[in-house]
Amino acid sequence: MSVRRDAWAIYRESLPVLLIALCGGLFAGLVLEELVEAVEEYPGLLVMVPVFLATRGNVYGALGGRIASGLHQGLIEPQFHPSPRLLNAVLASFVNGIGVSVLIGVITWVALVALPGWSPASLVVLVAIMFVAGTLTSVVMIVGLLSLVFAGFRYGYDPDNLVGPIVTTLGDVFGMTFLVFSVWLVGLVV
Amino acid sequence: MSTRSLGTWRWQRIVGNTFPLLLVLSVVVLWAGLTLEGAEETLSEFTLLAVMVPTMVDTGGNLGAILSSRLSTRFHLGTTELDPRDPVLWANVAAVFGLALSVFTALALGTFLLGQVLGTELTLGQLLLISLSSGMSVAVIAVVFSFATTYASYRLGVDPDDTTIPIVTNVVDVFGMVIFVTVSTTVVG
Repeated sequence: MSVRRDAWAIYRESLPVLLIALCGGLFAGLVLEELVEAVEEYPGLLVMVPVFLATRGNVYGALGGRIASGLHQGLIEPQFHPSPRLLNAVLASFVNGIGVSVLIGVITWVALVALPGWSPASLVVLVAIMFVAGTLTSVVMIVGLLSLVFAGFRYGYDPDNLVGPIVTTLGDVFGMTFLVFSVWLVGLVV
Repeated sequence: MSTRSLGTWRWQRIVGNTFPLLLVLSVVVLWAGLTLEGAEETLSEFTLLAVMVPTMVDTGGNLGAILSSRLSTRFHLGTTELDPRDPVLWANVAAVFGLALSVFTALALGTFLLGQVLGTELTLGQLLLISLSSGMSVAVIAVVFSFATTYASYRLGVDPDDTTIPIVTNVVDVFGMVIFVTVSTTVVG
C-alpha cells in the first residue's frame, strides 16, 4: 500500500518536468531535422550530436546532483551568493564543459580518420564548431540550472527530481540551437 | 573558509575526479554517434525520425538520473543500505516504469502531430511501436544501471554524485540510440 502511494507521489512530482523535457526534446528534434541537411557538408557532425548532448547531461547533471545534495545537507544556500563551495562547483563545470566539448571534436575526427569508410571534415572545423557551441551552452546551462533548482528548492520541490529533466531540457534546447548557430558561424569563417 | 576545508568541493578536485570519466564516456557515446551517422540515409528519407532522436536519447538518461540522484542522496543521508525489502526502492522503480510508459506514449503522439504539419508517411501505430518498444527497453537498462553504479560507487568510496549520473545517462544514451536505430530501421524498412 505504501509502495503504491510512494510510487504515485514520485510519479506525480516527476511527470510535469519530464513532459516539459519532452517538449524541449521535440524542439531539439526539429532543429536536428534541419541539421541533417548540413551533414553532407560537414561529415562527422551527426557523430558529434549524441556525444555533445550527452556531455551536457554529464557535466551539468553532475553539477546539479552536487547542488541537490549540498542543499539537502545544508552545505549551500539556495541563492546566488558567491560562497566558496558554489564558486568552485561552477568553475569546475566551466572547465569540464568547455574542455570536453573541444575534445569531442578531436576524438570524433581521430575516430573517423582511423575507421575505414569515413572521411570527416577538417579537424579545425570540428573543434571550432564544438568550442563555440560548448562555450555558449555552458553559460546558459549554469545560470539556468542554478536559477531553476534554487527557485524550485525555495518553493519546496525536491531538487533531486528537478535536476535531470532541467539539465536535459536546457541541454537539448540550447545545445542544439547553439550547435546550429555554431555550424552557421564556422561556415561563415571557413 | 580555507580551500582545504572545502574538501570535495574544491574545483581542482571536482575536475580531477570527473574529467577522466567524461573523456571515457565521450568515447563510449561516440558509438551512438557513429550509429546515428550510419543511419543518415534512413533519417534523410524519414526525417520525422530525427525529431524523436533527442528525446529518445534523453528520456532514458532522465529516468536513470531521477532514480540515481534519489539513491545517492539517500546514501549521503545514510538512510539506505540497498535492502531489497526496502519498499522505498520498489516505489522508485515502479514510478520510473510508469513515467517511461507515459513519456514514450506522449513522444509518439507529439511526433505524430508534428508529422501532420511537416508531412510524413509514418503512421501513429509505427511511431507508437518504435517509441514504446525502444523506450521501455531503455527504461529497464536505466533501472539496472542506476542501482549497479550507485551501489558500486558507494562500495568503492567514490562520491556517487560525480559518477552515478554520468555513467547511467551515457550507457543508457548508447543503448537508447542503438535500440532506437535498430527498431526504427526494422519498422520502416
